[in-house]
Amino acid sequence: MNVILIAMILALLIPIYEACQDEDIWQKMLAFASVATKTSMMILVVSVLRDDWMIGVVGVIILSVGNAALMLLAHILKRLNQL
Amino acid sequence: MTDSYLYPIVALLPLTACILVFQVNPYHALVIRGILGAVAALVYAVLGAADVALTEALVGTMLAITLYAVAVRSSLVMRLGVLESASATSLDVSQSAQPQLEQWLDNLRTLLIKHHLRLELVNYPDRQRLHQALKDQDVHAICTPLEAESLENQAIAADSPIYCTTIRIPRLYDILQSELSSSHLTPSARLAQFEEVSL
Repeated sequence: MNVILIAMILALLIPIYEACQDEDIWQKMLAFASVATKTSMMILVVSVLRDDWMIGVVGVIILSVGNAALMLLAHILKRLNQL
Repeated sequence: MTDSYLYPIVALLPLTACILVFQVNPYHALVIRGILGAVAALVYAVLGAADVALTEALVGTMLAITLYAVAVRSSLVMRLGVLESASATSLDVSQSAQPQLEQWLDNLRTLLIKHHLRLELVNYPDRQRLHQALKDQDVHAICTPLEAESLENQAIAADSPIYCTTIRIPRLYDILQSELSSSHLTPSARLAQFEEVSL
């Protein structure tokens, strides 16, 4: 089971590297979306591994809230380019 | 608490924090702050603090980023007052004046983007209200065509009106002055610093 989590951590490094080196703001937003989803999925996997429902509920809430924050930020950035 | 996957997960936190510190553009820094918030929520949840992870996701990632984006967007802006006639009506004036004004505004935009600033145009119907807006601190700078009698060389003024940009904020004036003097851009625009007349 640890192998799955280690593989997910390695997959998490890809969007972090992309966010670090890319200059376009929308590429960074894509990386942010990827990281937000991956981290919440990792929280869900850990909660299943430990059979801990409290962490599981928090993981579900973080999964939805991360996407909400992404949408709000994307709207503000879009209005920024229009003006 | 001796799981082997804990150490690489915790190591992600200083990694993203270092990336955040080295960002130059404020908007890029905001997006990286979102990534840092997501990783921090992961670390807190894995270490067993589910309530802290929830608070980090709700406040640190969603609320703080949205509020900071609004704050950065409204503060990193240069409000430039222009005459309405220069950009819209009066055919014979706009024929000669508009391309020059547009060119100057384009130059100004490219100069400001280097400093992550945004140019926002505010239209005013006449010259008096434009100067009043600068005095009332409604705008940061105004761009007016110079009047013919105030020019040294009136022959030049007949076919190419020179635009004078008066800037109220000293720091903005310094930035634009140094950029314009180093890049040899359009000679049809000149900068002036607005000095408050103390009563």
